[in-house]
Amino acid sequence: MKVITIVLQIGFLYVFYITGSLLQRLFHLPIPGSIIGLFLLFIVLLLKVFPATWIETGSAFLLDYLSLLFVPATTGVMNYFDLFAGHTIWLFIITMISTLIVMIFSGHTSRLLARYREKRREGTECQQSLSESSL
Amino acid sequence: MSTVLIGIVFISLTVFIYLFMTRLYHRFYIPFLIPALTSTVAVVFLLIIMEVSYDTYMIGGQWIDALLGPAIVALAYPLYNQRHLLLKNLYPILGGVVVGSLTGIFSGLLLAQSLGFNEKLLFSLLPKSVTTPVAMQIADGVGGLPALSVLFVMTAGFTGVVVGPYILYWFRLDSPLAKGMAFGSASHAIGTAKAIEYGDYTTSVSSVAMTLSAIACSVFGSLVVLVFYA
Repeated sequence: MKVITIVLQIGFLYVFYITGSLLQRLFHLPIPGSIIGLFLLFIVLLLKVFPATWIETGSAFLLDYLSLLFVPATTGVMNYFDLFAGHTIWLFIITMISTLIVMIFSGHTSRLLARYREKRREGTECQQSLSESSL
Repeated sequence: MSTVLIGIVFISLTVFIYLFMTRLYHRFYIPFLIPALTSTVAVVFLLIIMEVSYDTYMIGGQWIDALLGPAIVALAYPLYNQRHLLLKNLYPILGGVVVGSLTGIFSGLLLAQSLGFNEKLLFSLLPKSVTTPVAMQIADGVGGLPALSVLFVMTAGFTGVVVGPYILYWFRLDSPLAKGMAFGSASHAIGTAKAIEYGDYTTSVSSVAMTLSAIACSVFGSLVVLVFYA
Protein backbone atom coordinates (compact mmCIF):
# COMPACT_ATOMS: atom_id res chain seq x y z
CA MET A 1 0.00 0.00 0.00
CA LYS A 2 2.81 2.41 0.92
CA VAL A 3 4.53 1.64 -2.39
CA ILE A 4 1.42 2.68 -4.33
CA THR A 5 1.18 5.91 -2.32
CA ILE A 6 4.83 6.69 -3.01
CA VAL A 7 4.53 5.99 -6.76
CA LEU A 8 1.35 8.07 -7.09
CA GLN A 9 2.81 10.96 -5.14
CA ILE A 10 6.03 10.94 -7.16
CA GLY A 11 3.84 11.02 -10.27
CA PHE A 12 2.13 14.05 -8.81
CA LEU A 13 5.49 15.74 -8.13
CA TYR A 14 6.43 14.89 -11.71
CA VAL A 15 3.45 16.92 -12.96
CA PHE A 16 4.92 19.98 -11.21
CA TYR A 17 8.34 19.25 -12.67
CA ILE A 18 6.95 18.95 -16.21
CA THR A 19 4.87 22.11 -15.78
CA GLY A 20 7.98 23.94 -14.55
CA SER A 21 10.01 22.71 -17.51
CA LEU A 22 7.27 23.78 -19.94
CA LEU A 23 7.12 27.25 -18.40
CA GLN A 24 10.90 27.51 -18.58
CA ARG A 25 10.93 26.67 -22.29
CA LEU A 26 7.89 28.79 -23.06
CA PHE A 27 9.28 31.97 -21.48
CA HIS A 28 13.01 31.19 -21.97
CA LEU A 29 13.61 31.59 -18.22
CA PRO A 30 17.19 31.32 -16.91
CA ILE A 31 15.97 29.12 -14.00
CA PRO A 32 15.65 25.33 -14.55
CA GLY A 33 12.26 23.61 -14.69
CA SER A 34 12.80 21.72 -11.42
CA ILE A 35 13.26 24.96 -9.45
CA ILE A 36 10.21 26.54 -11.12
CA GLY A 37 8.31 23.37 -10.19
CA LEU A 38 9.52 23.79 -6.58
CA PHE A 39 8.13 27.35 -6.55
CA LEU A 40 4.83 26.23 -8.09
CA LEU A 41 4.34 23.45 -5.54
CA PHE A 42 5.27 25.78 -2.68
CA ILE A 43 2.72 28.38 -3.84
CA VAL A 44 0.03 25.73 -4.34
CA LEU A 45 0.70 24.42 -0.81
CA LEU A 46 0.53 27.95 0.63
CA LEU A 47 -2.80 28.55 -1.13
CA LYS A 48 -3.99 25.25 0.37
CA VAL A 49 -5.24 23.98 -2.99
CA PHE A 50 -4.67 20.47 -1.59
CA PRO A 51 -3.34 19.26 1.77
CA ALA A 52 0.42 18.71 2.16
CA THR A 53 -0.30 15.04 2.93
CA TRP A 54 -0.88 14.51 -0.82
CA ILE A 55 2.83 14.81 -1.44
CA GLU A 56 4.23 14.05 2.03
CA THR A 57 5.14 10.37 1.61
CA GLY A 58 6.50 10.70 -1.94
CA SER A 59 8.57 13.78 -1.02
CA ALA A 60 10.01 12.15 2.07
CA PHE A 61 10.95 9.10 -0.01
CA LEU A 62 12.69 11.11 -2.76
CA LEU A 63 14.52 13.34 -0.27
CA ASP A 64 15.69 10.26 1.65
CA TYR A 65 17.45 9.09 -1.51
CA LEU A 66 18.43 12.50 -2.89
CA SER A 67 22.14 11.66 -2.81
CA LEU A 68 21.57 8.50 -4.86
CA LEU A 69 19.81 10.50 -7.56
CA PHE A 70 22.98 12.54 -8.22
CA VAL A 71 25.15 9.52 -8.90
CA PRO A 72 24.34 8.97 -12.62
CA ALA A 73 24.92 12.67 -13.38
CA THR A 74 28.17 12.93 -11.41
CA THR A 75 29.45 9.70 -12.98
CA GLY A 76 29.62 11.73 -16.21
CA VAL A 77 32.94 13.04 -14.88
CA MET A 78 34.55 9.90 -16.42
CA ASN A 79 34.28 11.52 -19.85
CA TYR A 80 36.40 14.48 -18.76
CA PHE A 81 39.35 12.95 -16.93
CA ASP A 82 41.83 14.63 -19.28
CA LEU A 83 40.73 18.02 -17.91
CA PHE A 84 42.16 17.13 -14.51
CA ALA A 85 45.64 17.00 -15.98
CA GLY A 86 48.05 19.89 -16.38
CA HIS A 87 47.41 23.54 -15.62
CA THR A 88 43.59 23.16 -15.43
CA ILE A 89 43.91 21.32 -12.11
CA TRP A 90 44.44 24.76 -10.51
CA LEU A 91 40.89 25.73 -11.45
CA PHE A 92 39.63 22.83 -9.36
CA ILE A 93 41.77 23.87 -6.41
CA ILE A 94 40.46 27.43 -6.80
CA THR A 95 36.91 26.04 -6.85
CA MET A 96 37.55 24.28 -3.54
CA ILE A 97 39.03 27.37 -1.88
CA SER A 98 36.28 29.62 -3.22
CA THR A 99 33.58 27.18 -2.04
CA LEU A 100 34.89 27.29 1.52
CA ILE A 101 35.09 31.09 1.39
CA VAL A 102 31.43 31.19 0.30
CA MET A 103 30.43 28.89 3.18
CA ILE A 104 32.16 31.08 5.76
CA PHE A 105 30.88 34.37 4.34
CA SER A 106 27.26 33.42 3.71
CA GLY A 107 26.99 31.52 7.00
CA HIS A 108 28.45 34.38 9.04
CA THR A 109 26.46 37.06 7.22
CA SER A 110 23.15 35.40 8.04
CA ARG A 111 24.31 34.63 11.57
CA LEU A 112 25.27 38.26 12.19
CA LEU A 113 22.06 39.60 10.62
CA ALA A 114 19.95 37.23 12.74
CA ARG A 115 21.83 38.27 15.86
CA TYR A 116 21.52 41.97 14.99
CA ARG A 117 17.76 41.57 14.58
CA GLU A 118 17.46 39.76 17.90
CA LYS A 119 19.44 42.48 19.66
CA ARG A 120 17.27 45.17 18.14
CA ARG A 121 14.17 43.31 19.22
CA GLU A 122 15.54 42.98 22.75
CA GLY A 123 16.39 46.67 22.62
CA THR A 124 12.85 47.73 21.79
CA GLU A 125 11.53 45.42 24.49
CA CYS A 126 13.92 47.05 26.96
CA GLN A 127 12.83 50.51 25.98
CA GLN A 128 9.23 49.47 26.31
CA SER A 129 9.76 48.08 29.78
CA LEU A 130 11.74 51.22 30.71
CA SER A 131 9.02 53.55 29.54
CA GLU A 132 6.48 51.38 31.29
CA SER A 133 8.44 51.47 34.54
CA SER A 134 8.89 55.25 34.30
CA LEU A 135 5.15 55.57 34.08
CA MET B 1 22.30 -8.22 -24.24
CA SER B 2 18.99 -6.44 -24.58
CA THR B 3 18.66 -2.79 -23.65
CA VAL B 4 16.18 -3.53 -20.87
CA LEU B 5 18.55 -6.00 -19.25
CA ILE B 6 21.48 -3.57 -19.50
CA GLY B 7 19.25 -0.93 -17.93
CA ILE B 8 18.24 -3.17 -15.04
CA VAL B 9 21.85 -4.24 -14.42
CA PHE B 10 23.12 -0.66 -14.14
CA ILE B 11 20.18 0.53 -12.04
CA SER B 12 20.68 -2.34 -9.59
CA LEU B 13 24.44 -1.80 -9.58
CA THR B 14 24.03 1.90 -8.72
CA VAL B 15 21.40 1.27 -6.04
CA PHE B 16 23.40 -1.58 -4.50
CA ILE B 17 26.60 0.47 -4.38
CA TYR B 18 24.71 3.42 -2.92
CA LEU B 19 23.08 1.32 -0.18
CA PHE B 20 26.44 -0.21 0.70
CA MET B 21 28.14 3.22 0.80
CA THR B 22 25.33 4.60 2.96
CA ARG B 23 25.88 1.80 5.48
CA LEU B 24 29.59 2.50 5.44
CA TYR B 25 28.94 6.21 6.01
CA HIS B 26 26.59 5.60 8.93
CA ARG B 27 29.05 3.19 10.48
CA PHE B 28 32.08 5.52 10.49
CA TYR B 29 30.43 8.91 10.04
CA ILE B 30 33.41 10.60 8.40
CA PRO B 31 32.42 13.49 6.05
CA PHE B 32 34.84 12.12 3.47
CA LEU B 33 32.68 8.97 3.12
CA ILE B 34 29.58 10.89 1.96
CA PRO B 35 27.59 8.37 -0.18
CA ALA B 36 27.14 10.65 -3.22
CA LEU B 37 30.94 10.91 -3.53
CA THR B 38 31.96 7.34 -2.65
CA SER B 39 29.20 5.87 -4.87
CA THR B 40 30.31 8.00 -7.81
CA VAL B 41 33.93 6.93 -7.34
CA ALA B 42 32.89 3.27 -7.08
CA VAL B 43 30.64 3.40 -10.17
CA VAL B 44 33.30 5.20 -12.25
CA PHE B 45 35.92 2.72 -11.09
CA LEU B 46 33.75 -0.30 -12.01
CA LEU B 47 32.79 1.13 -15.41
CA ILE B 48 36.43 1.75 -16.29
CA ILE B 49 37.47 -1.75 -15.16
CA MET B 50 34.61 -3.35 -17.12
CA GLU B 51 35.34 -1.05 -20.09
CA VAL B 52 31.75 0.20 -20.19
CA SER B 53 31.14 3.66 -21.69
CA TYR B 54 29.18 6.35 -19.87
CA ASP B 55 26.50 6.23 -22.59
CA THR B 56 25.95 2.51 -22.00
CA TYR B 57 25.78 3.07 -18.24
CA MET B 58 23.19 5.81 -18.74
CA ILE B 59 20.78 3.33 -20.40
CA GLY B 60 20.08 2.38 -16.79
CA GLY B 61 21.36 5.55 -15.14
CA GLN B 62 18.86 7.81 -16.89
CA TRP B 63 16.02 6.21 -14.90
CA ILE B 64 17.59 7.27 -11.63
CA ASP B 65 18.52 10.63 -13.15
CA ALA B 66 14.86 11.14 -14.17
CA LEU B 67 13.85 11.24 -10.50
CA LEU B 68 16.18 14.17 -9.77
CA GLY B 69 13.69 16.69 -11.23
CA PRO B 70 10.72 15.66 -9.05
CA ALA B 71 13.10 15.33 -6.06
CA ILE B 72 14.08 19.00 -6.39
CA VAL B 73 10.34 19.82 -6.62
CA ALA B 74 9.84 17.77 -3.43
CA LEU B 75 12.04 20.26 -1.52
CA ALA B 76 8.91 22.44 -1.49
CA TYR B 77 7.57 20.15 1.24
CA PRO B 78 10.16 20.88 3.97
CA LEU B 79 10.05 24.49 2.76
CA TYR B 80 6.31 24.62 3.38
CA ASN B 81 6.64 22.97 6.79
CA GLN B 82 9.24 25.54 7.84
CA ARG B 83 7.62 28.57 6.22
CA HIS B 84 7.12 30.51 9.47
CA LEU B 85 10.70 30.10 10.61
CA LEU B 86 11.96 31.02 7.13
CA LEU B 87 9.83 34.14 6.93
CA LYS B 88 11.07 35.18 10.37
CA ASN B 89 14.63 34.96 9.04
CA LEU B 90 13.98 36.50 5.65
CA TYR B 91 16.60 39.27 5.86
CA PRO B 92 19.40 37.12 7.30
CA ILE B 93 18.74 34.62 4.49
CA LEU B 94 18.64 37.26 1.74
CA GLY B 95 21.79 38.92 3.13
CA GLY B 96 23.64 35.61 3.25
CA VAL B 97 22.63 34.77 -0.32
CA VAL B 98 23.78 38.13 -1.71
CA VAL B 99 27.12 38.08 0.16
CA GLY B 100 27.61 34.39 -0.62
CA SER B 101 27.04 34.64 -4.35
CA LEU B 102 29.19 37.77 -4.69
CA THR B 103 32.11 36.27 -2.73
CA GLY B 104 31.73 33.10 -4.80
CA ILE B 105 31.87 34.94 -8.11
CA PHE B 106 34.69 37.33 -7.19
CA SER B 107 36.93 34.92 -5.28
CA GLY B 108 36.78 32.45 -8.17
CA LEU B 109 37.40 35.06 -10.87
CA LEU B 110 40.19 36.86 -9.02
CA LEU B 111 42.08 33.72 -8.00
CA ALA B 112 41.88 32.29 -11.52
CA GLN B 113 42.82 35.59 -13.11
CA SER B 114 45.87 35.92 -10.87
CA LEU B 115 47.04 32.56 -12.24
CA GLY B 116 46.61 33.86 -15.78
CA PHE B 117 43.68 31.78 -17.05
CA ASN B 118 41.88 33.02 -20.14
CA GLU B 119 38.36 34.47 -20.08
CA LYS B 120 36.68 31.35 -21.41
CA LEU B 121 37.94 29.36 -18.42
CA LEU B 122 37.25 32.23 -15.98
CA PHE B 123 33.65 32.41 -17.08
CA SER B 124 33.26 28.63 -16.82
CA LEU B 125 34.29 28.98 -13.19
CA LEU B 126 31.77 31.73 -12.47
CA PRO B 127 28.60 29.65 -11.79
CA LYS B 128 30.30 26.89 -9.74
CA SER B 129 28.20 27.46 -6.61
CA VAL B 130 24.81 26.86 -8.23
CA THR B 131 22.92 23.75 -9.23
CA THR B 132 24.02 22.06 -12.49
CA PRO B 133 21.23 23.02 -14.96
CA VAL B 134 21.42 26.69 -13.90
CA ALA B 135 25.21 26.64 -13.97
CA MET B 136 25.22 25.35 -17.55
CA GLN B 137 22.85 28.06 -18.65
CA ILE B 138 24.84 30.79 -16.91
CA ALA B 139 28.11 29.51 -18.38
CA ASP B 140 26.57 29.45 -21.82
CA GLY B 141 25.19 32.96 -21.35
CA VAL B 142 28.46 34.60 -20.25
CA GLY B 143 30.65 32.75 -22.76
CA GLY B 144 32.14 29.91 -20.70
CA LEU B 145 32.20 26.17 -21.38
CA PRO B 146 29.06 24.50 -19.90
CA ALA B 147 30.66 21.03 -19.74
CA LEU B 148 33.59 22.41 -17.74
CA SER B 149 31.20 24.31 -15.45
CA VAL B 150 29.50 21.01 -14.57
CA LEU B 151 32.83 19.70 -13.27
CA PHE B 152 33.34 22.84 -11.16
CA VAL B 153 29.78 22.54 -9.85
CA MET B 154 30.50 18.96 -8.77
CA THR B 155 33.79 20.00 -7.18
CA ALA B 156 32.04 22.78 -5.27
CA GLY B 157 29.33 20.36 -4.15
CA PHE B 158 31.71 17.71 -2.87
CA THR B 159 34.10 20.22 -1.27
CA GLY B 160 31.16 21.66 0.67
CA VAL B 161 29.93 18.34 2.00
CA VAL B 162 33.36 16.81 2.67
CA VAL B 163 35.36 19.77 4.06
CA GLY B 164 32.31 21.87 4.97
CA PRO B 165 31.51 20.15 8.29
CA TYR B 166 35.03 20.98 9.57
CA ILE B 167 34.72 24.58 8.36
CA LEU B 168 31.37 24.91 10.14
CA TYR B 169 33.00 23.67 13.33
CA TRP B 170 36.16 25.78 13.12
CA PHE B 171 34.29 28.96 12.25
CA ARG B 172 31.59 28.35 14.86
CA LEU B 173 28.76 28.22 12.36
CA ASP B 174 26.63 26.09 14.65
CA SER B 175 23.07 27.38 14.24
CA PRO B 176 20.73 25.59 11.79
CA LEU B 177 20.38 28.91 9.94
CA ALA B 178 24.13 29.39 9.41
CA LYS B 179 24.65 25.73 8.47
CA GLY B 180 21.81 25.72 5.96
CA MET B 181 23.06 28.96 4.42
CA ALA B 182 26.61 27.62 4.12
CA PHE B 183 25.55 24.36 2.47
CA GLY B 184 22.91 25.82 0.16
CA SER B 185 24.80 28.84 -1.11
CA ALA B 186 28.19 27.13 -1.55
CA SER B 187 27.23 23.57 -2.50
CA HIS B 188 23.74 23.81 -4.05
CA ALA B 189 21.72 20.56 -4.19
CA ILE B 190 24.56 18.26 -3.07
CA GLY B 191 24.95 20.50 -0.01
CA THR B 192 21.19 20.41 0.54
CA ALA B 193 21.25 16.59 0.46
CA LYS B 194 23.89 16.78 3.20
CA ALA B 195 21.84 19.36 5.14
CA ILE B 196 19.07 16.74 5.50
CA GLU B 197 21.31 15.11 8.14
CA TYR B 198 21.00 18.23 10.29
CA GLY B 199 17.18 18.27 10.34
CA ASP B 200 14.21 19.88 8.67
CA TYR B 201 15.02 23.52 9.34
CA THR B 202 18.60 23.28 8.07
CA THR B 203 17.30 21.47 4.97
CA SER B 204 14.77 24.21 4.28
CA VAL B 205 17.25 27.03 4.77
CA SER B 206 19.65 25.18 2.49
CA SER B 207 17.08 24.69 -0.27
CA VAL B 208 16.00 28.33 -0.02
CA ALA B 209 19.65 29.42 -0.15
CA MET B 210 20.28 27.12 -3.12
CA THR B 211 17.27 28.44 -5.03
CA LEU B 212 17.95 32.10 -4.31
CA SER B 213 21.67 31.66 -5.06
CA ALA B 214 20.77 30.26 -8.47
CA ILE B 215 18.78 33.41 -9.21
CA ALA B 216 21.37 35.74 -7.63
CA CYS B 217 24.23 34.12 -9.55
CA SER B 218 22.48 34.40 -12.91
CA VAL B 219 21.86 38.10 -12.26
CA PHE B 220 25.21 39.02 -10.60
CA GLY B 221 27.19 36.74 -12.90
CA SER B 222 26.02 38.42 -16.08
CA LEU B 223 26.40 41.86 -14.46
CA VAL B 224 29.97 41.22 -13.32
CA VAL B 225 30.95 39.98 -16.78
CA LEU B 226 29.27 42.97 -18.38
CA VAL B 227 30.89 45.53 -16.06
CA PHE B 228 34.40 44.10 -15.67
CA TYR B 229 35.07 42.09 -18.80
CA ALA B 230 33.08 43.66 -21.63
